[in-house]
Amino acid sequence: MRSVHVGIPRALLYYRYFPLWNTFFRELGAKVIVSRPSTRSVLEDGFNYADDDVCIPIKMIFGHVLDIKDKVDYLFIPRLLSDNKRGYCCPRLAGLPEMIKYSVPGLPPMLDPFVDERYRATRLSGALSKAGRTLGCNFLQIRRAYSKAREQHDQFQRRMRDGESVLDLTAAFERDGFFPHQPLTEKEEGGSVRIGVIGHPYSLYDALLNFDLFKRLKEAKASVFTQEGVPQHTIDLQVQQVKKDIYWTLGREILGAAFHFLDSKVADGLIYVTCFNCGIDSMIEPLVNFRTKRMASPYMALMIDEHTGIGGLVTRLEAFLDTVRRRKCNSVDERRRS
Amino acid sequence: MRITVPHCGQMDIFINALSRRIGPEFVIPPKTSPRTLDLGLKYSPESTCLPFKFILGNFIEALEKGADTICMITDRGPCRVGMYDIVMENILREMGYRFNWITLDNTQILRTYLLKFDRERRKRGVSLTDALRSLHFAWKKMKLCEEMERWTHKMRPYEVNRGETTRVHSECLRLLDGVATLKELKAARSDVVSRLSNIQQDRTRHPLKMVITGEGYVVINPHANQDIERRLGEMGVEVTRTMWFTSQIAHAMRVDLFNKRSKSKAIRASKWYLPHNIGGECNASVGYAILSAREGYDGVIQLLPFGCILESVAKNILRMVSRDYDIPILTFSLTENLSETTIVTRLSAFVDLIQRRRKTRDT
Repeated sequence: MRSVHVGIPRALLYYRYFPLWNTFFRELGAKVIVSRPSTRSVLEDGFNYADDDVCIPIKMIFGHVLDIKDKVDYLFIPRLLSDNKRGYCCPRLAGLPEMIKYSVPGLPPMLDPFVDERYRATRLSGALSKAGRTLGCNFLQIRRAYSKAREQHDQFQRRMRDGESVLDLTAAFERDGFFPHQPLTEKEEGGSVRIGVIGHPYSLYDALLNFDLFKRLKEAKASVFTQEGVPQHTIDLQVQQVKKDIYWTLGREILGAAFHFLDSKVADGLIYVTCFNCGIDSMIEPLVNFRTKRMASPYMALMIDEHTGIGGLVTRLEAFLDTVRRRKCNSVDERRRS
Repeated sequence: MRITVPHCGQMDIFINALSRRIGPEFVIPPKTSPRTLDLGLKYSPESTCLPFKFILGNFIEALEKGADTICMITDRGPCRVGMYDIVMENILREMGYRFNWITLDNTQILRTYLLKFDRERRKRGVSLTDALRSLHFAWKKMKLCEEMERWTHKMRPYEVNRGETTRVHSECLRLLDGVATLKELKAARSDVVSRLSNIQQDRTRHPLKMVITGEGYVVINPHANQDIERRLGEMGVEVTRTMWFTSQIAHAMRVDLFNKRSKSKAIRASKWYLPHNIGGECNASVGYAILSAREGYDGVIQLLPFGCILESVAKNILRMVSRDYDIPILTFSLTENLSETTIVTRLSAFVDLIQRRRKTRDT
């Protein structure tokens, strides 16, 4: 018998939850099919169906859905309202299954578990088990699959925190189905400059939207720090500097990481990758901006939209790296003189 | 303590009534004008939504007028409005203004009141019953103003002399301005009713009926939606607005159970399309569209500020509602660059379309 094919689009929360979802469905005996890495044509496919008021990552997922919809029996698009006890994800993610369902014709049936971690009844485990029951699995199988998936997810998070690159990890996991034992990325302490890179994971790690930022930074001999490497308690502590509780989980993470990079002088410069029309970034970015202004540290916000050309971004990146380097040299000179 | 609040619907009437009777001095920002928007645009981050720019402009103008305390009502929902306060405070401080900032959170109104305003009240020697009484009066006055506006929406398509309703309405508002007690308010109410009913009307007309729904701020405020209700009224459309300042407050305080067109009812109506409450006005605007289709309205207009997180979800779903319930829905994505001509052209095209539709249906 042919196993059930479950399609996962390579967009949005793929970069956060892929090991969990993949392991879960694989353990249930389904075959997981992931869409191609983003390209220009995927994005343009998305434009044809997506509304013009939404941000690019959402348009991107439309493209990815179109890419895999004919190859799979079920499309997995979780409806994530909140993935934290006291926070929300982007509300667009909560309405995503509807947006796709009502815009794209000819879709396979959708697995859209509703996840709201604030309440007991709608936790991730319960929501996924509903999806598992749709696939016709029994309670025990689901239980076993979930605990294995959770294990992988925990390992994923631990290794991200240890400084391994998300891209390397997901790529390795997709290839082998498990994480290799030895660390994938060497911790590069020896780089000439240290750059903190923040932003929503789905714009930061998308093959098209990040315009090979990490590769370019590596070529420029810069060591990169991302928000995934900052432990949760540090984020909690840093966010308290803002008078208000930041209720977006991802926004909170970005802001906490940015403040951490600035305060502890971990990074010499900060790059914020944001997408045009992102509601969360439009509020978080100014806060980071004010902070960097007050501390007079180098900062660059890269706003990406569908017309962004790589040339302009690369020039800005090079100029930014030069600024950071010069400042670093100057401060070292001053210290020597005094 | 000179407090200022942003303009939102009829809130300035509420605040005026309150301040005249008990209290702390309020500085109402000047009426929202193109200058307000220009100021807001100049100082706000580019990718924020339209309400942010208007409200920031209001605050800047109020600070220029001499306010020293800013009071901002926010939320803790997934909408960005909950973050307005810290971003705005940072911007205004960066600009060099000195002020106190008070955030009125809908979950902590009592606490904020006790911490910030209660001392002010005692200092002025106003008793608690007096304060509550004037709160009641201010609420009633605001309610009356909204009711008046609702009447004008119903009357405008019937008026014989174009623009008369608008003129009488502004006259009535001026008349209400001086009212200071409940008794006077009652007298003023009958006066207003008689004035409005004196408008020459042509009751033989058969106007189209439309519903306006969408994001709260742009629906409530004529300055944000380019006065869309008046324009529609003068095109011969009877407009029903789904959101009012009082209804929003009533929903937040959970006291709108008996309202015929309450937000909670709309949210229930949207269950089939959006099984979970996402927050903001997303579910409500879908629900209102469904309710109005059931009630036999001719069309729905959805207003949203460009890039609104929640309404962009609703916009996608409304497309399906329009198909399922066979009701035309027009969506306006409002930005600061939207010109008057665009609005008028699109509206008249929409009205023409519905008129033709009705004709073909009748024959």
